[in-house]
Amino acid sequence: MTFKQLNHTYCCFAGKVRKCLRTGRNDAEKIMPLSKIGHHGRKRICKITGDRKLCARMASLGFHPGEEVELLCRENDSRCILKIQGGTVSLDNTASNNILVQSIE
Amino acid sequence: MKDQITMALAGNPNAGKTTLFNQLTGARQHVGNYPGITVDHKEGRFSHTGREISLTDLPGTYSLTAYSVEELVARDYLVNAKPQVVINIVDASNLERNLYLTCQFLELGVPMVIALNMIDVAKDRGIEVKADRLATLLGIPVVPIIARTGLGKNRLIDEAIAVASDSRRNWQPLDISYGDDLDETIMSLMTEIDQKGFLTDIYPSRFTAIKYLENDDQIMARGRTAKPAVAETIESLVSQVSGHLVKTMDVFPEAIIADHRYGFIKSIIRQGVLTHKFDTDRLYASDRIDKIVTNRLLGPIIMLTVLFGVYKLTFSWSELPVSWLGSFISWFGDVVSHNLPDGLFKSMITSGIIHGAGGVLGFVPLIMFMFFGIAILEDSGYLARVAFMMDRIFRIFGLHGSSVMPFIISGGIAGGCAVPGVLATRTLRSPKERLATLLTVPFMNCGAKLPVLALLIGAFFSENKARYMFFFTVLTWVVALLSAKFFRSTVLRGEPTPFVMELPPYRFPTLQGLLIHTWERTWQYIKKAGSVILGISVLIWAMMTFPGLSPDRIAAFDQQRKAVKAGFPADIISETEGKKTAGSEQAARLAEQLSIIDGDQAEEALRNSAAGRLGIAFESVSRYAGFDWRTNIALIGGFAAKEVIVSTLGTAYSMGKVDSKESASLGQRLRQDPHWNKGVALAALLFIMFYSPCFITIICIAREASWKWAFFSMVFNTVFAFVMAVGVYQIGRLSGLG
Repeated sequence: MTFKQLNHTYCCFAGKVRKCLRTGRNDAEKIMPLSKIGHHGRKRICKITGDRKLCARMASLGFHPGEEVELLCRENDSRCILKIQGGTVSLDNTASNNILVQSIE
Repeated sequence: MKDQITMALAGNPNAGKTTLFNQLTGARQHVGNYPGITVDHKEGRFSHTGREISLTDLPGTYSLTAYSVEELVARDYLVNAKPQVVINIVDASNLERNLYLTCQFLELGVPMVIALNMIDVAKDRGIEVKADRLATLLGIPVVPIIARTGLGKNRLIDEAIAVASDSRRNWQPLDISYGDDLDETIMSLMTEIDQKGFLTDIYPSRFTAIKYLENDDQIMARGRTAKPAVAETIESLVSQVSGHLVKTMDVFPEAIIADHRYGFIKSIIRQGVLTHKFDTDRLYASDRIDKIVTNRLLGPIIMLTVLFGVYKLTFSWSELPVSWLGSFISWFGDVVSHNLPDGLFKSMITSGIIHGAGGVLGFVPLIMFMFFGIAILEDSGYLARVAFMMDRIFRIFGLHGSSVMPFIISGGIAGGCAVPGVLATRTLRSPKERLATLLTVPFMNCGAKLPVLALLIGAFFSENKARYMFFFTVLTWVVALLSAKFFRSTVLRGEPTPFVMELPPYRFPTLQGLLIHTWERTWQYIKKAGSVILGISVLIWAMMTFPGLSPDRIAAFDQQRKAVKAGFPADIISETEGKKTAGSEQAARLAEQLSIIDGDQAEEALRNSAAGRLGIAFESVSRYAGFDWRTNIALIGGFAAKEVIVSTLGTAYSMGKVDSKESASLGQRLRQDPHWNKGVALAALLFIMFYSPCFITIICIAREASWKWAFFSMVFNTVFAFVMAVGVYQIGRLSGLG
C-alpha cells in the first residue's frame, strides 16, 4: 500500500498530520515537542510519538492529532499542566517530549 | 433472587460513579477528589419500584484496553459477570473525552444507559448538552443527572430497568468504521476468530480483533493460552498490518483506531448535541489556582507549609482530648481495679483489656484530627497536585508520581494504613514501579505506629512534639525513597513509565463530606482496636501470665513477706493492709518493703511466662539496640498488629507493678524505668517505624505480588530496622545520650 493509498484510506488521520507538517514549515508555526514550547497558550497537537502504550494511553485521555490544548503551567524540567477537552491533565517530561504541537495564536 | 436486576456503574475517573453509587444504595463508600480511589469493584443493593437491584461500582477507566489494573478489573467484570445493564456515567462538562469510553462499551455490546452527570457544572461553564439528541444519535437512553444531589436518579434507574428488561438490547456490539483497510483487516480477523471459536465465549469477535490491533496484552495472553495456533495466525496478520502502518505512516493501528473513534464522537456531538456559550479556551478559577500552587518555586513552599500546618493543627488541637481520654481510661482502670477481687480475672481486665486496648483507644482524638486534615487535602483536590509536584522527586528514586497516593494512604502524612496503601498501588501501570511502591509503603507512619510515636516522643522528647513528629515523618519518606532507589537499581531495575494524570478541579470540601471521611477512617481504627487488637491484647496478656510462678517460688515470696511483717507490731500491719496510703512512718516503711517484694514477684512471674521467655531469648541480640525483654515482647506482638506495641508495653509495664498503687501513664512509667532513656527511645522509634509490616499487610503484599515478595519485605525491613536501631543506640550510648 502506498502513502497515497493510505492517505486516501485514512484521510482523516493522515490529513491532519500532513496539514500540521505543511504549515509547520513556517517558523512562526513551527512544530515542536510540548516540552520545548516556551510560552503558555493554545496549541494544536500534530503527532504523538514514543512508546506504543503511551500513545494509546494519551489517545484515551483525548490527546490525538488535530486536538487543541491549552498549556497552563510549564516547568523548567519540561513537566506541564494543560487543559484538554474540558479536563486538566498533568504530564511529565517523557510524555510532553512525545507530543508534537504547534502554536495557534 | 429471581427478580433481581444486576447493574454496573462505569465511567472515567472522577466522573461521579461512587457518588451516584452512594446516592442509590445509601452506602458510605469513600468518594475522593482524586483519580483512582476505587481500585476494585464494590457491590451494593437497593430496591426501586418493587424491583431488587444489585449495583456494582467499577473503578474509573479511560478505555477498555488493558493499560492498567483498573481497566482490567472493569473489563473483566463486564465480560465475566455480564451485568444486565451498565450505567455509563459521563461528565457533561467533558463530553468528548468521556464518550471515548462509551464508544468502547458500545463496541463490546453491553446493554447501556448513559447518566449525563454534572450538568450543573457544565451549565456554569456555558456548556449545553442536548440529552435527547445524544440518545437518538447513539441509540441508547441518556438521562441528565446531578449525582451529588440525586437529581434525575429515579428516571435513570427507570431507564436502566427498561433496558435490562428488553432482551433485544442485550449484548449487541456496535460497528465503528476504522477506514477501508483496517475494516478489511478486522473482517478477515473476525472470520478467523469466528471459524475457530477463538475467545468467542468471552468477547464478541469484532472486539477481539480490535483489541489485537490495539496490542492488548491481556487478550493476547489469553488467546495464546486458549488456542496457541490460532493466536499465532492472528498475531502474524496483525503484525503485518502494524509493520506496514509504521513503515508508511509512522503510526501504530491503535492511533488510527483512536482517531476514528474521536471522528465518530465528533460526528455525533456536532449534530447539535453540544453548544458552548462561552469561549472554550476560557480559564476557570481552578486553572488560575493551579498557576500558583503548582508553580516551580511557590509550589513546593506552599506544599511544605500546608503539610506542616496539618501536623501543627493535629497535634495542638488533639492534645487536650487525648489527655482527657487518657485520664478517663486511667480512672476507669483504677475504679475497676479497686472493685474487683484480686486474681486472674482482675488481671485480665485491668492489664489485658483496659491497659491494652484502652491504650490504643486513647489515641482516637489524635487519629481523628489527622484524618480530618487528610480529608481536607483530598476533597479539595490539592492532593492530586501534590502527586504532580512529587513526581519530580519520585522520578529520582525510580518511582512514579502515582506512587504518592499509596504513600499518603499508608501514612505519608502520618495516620494512614498500609493495607489500603498496598491496594492503591494498583493504579500504577509498570509492574516494577508498582512492586517498588508496594515494598516501600509499609515504611510510612501508619495510624498504628502513630500512638507508639506519640507515646515515645511525648515521654522522651516532649519539648517540641509536632516538630519531632514532622521530623520522623520526613525520615520515613527519606528511608522509603532511598529503599525504592535501592530496589529499582538492583532487584527491580527497569525503565520508568511516564507520568500522565488527570487533575480533578478544586472543590470546596463540604463539612458533611469531611466528617464522613474522617469518621469512616477513625471507625476503622476503633473497630480494629475493639476486635483484632482486643483479641491480641488478651492473648498477649495470657502469654505474659501463664505458666506463672511455681508454688515453691510463691511460697518463698510469702515467706519473705512474713519475715518483713515479723519485724513490725500487729497494729502497724493492720494499718497497712487494705489502705491506699499508710498513715504512720512505720506503716509507710512496711508498705514500701512489701511493695518491693510484690514488684519482684510480679517481675519474676513475667520473666517466667511464655512471652517473658520469648523476650529473654531475643535479649541476647536485642540488647545491642538497647531493647530489654519487656520491649521485645511488645515488638514481637507488633508483628501481629502495630497497635499492639503500645498495648503490650502497657500490659508489660503495668504487670511488673501490679500492686504499686500507682496509676501513672505508660509514658511516665517508661521515663522512670532504668532500662529506658533517650537513646533507647530513639532506637525503638526507628525500629518500630521500619521493621516488618504487620501480618495483615504481609498477606496483602502476598496477594498483590507473591509470597516471595511478602517474605522478602518481612526479612529486609526487619534486618534494615535492626541495623539502624543498633547504630543509633550505640552512637547515642557513646555520645552520652543514653
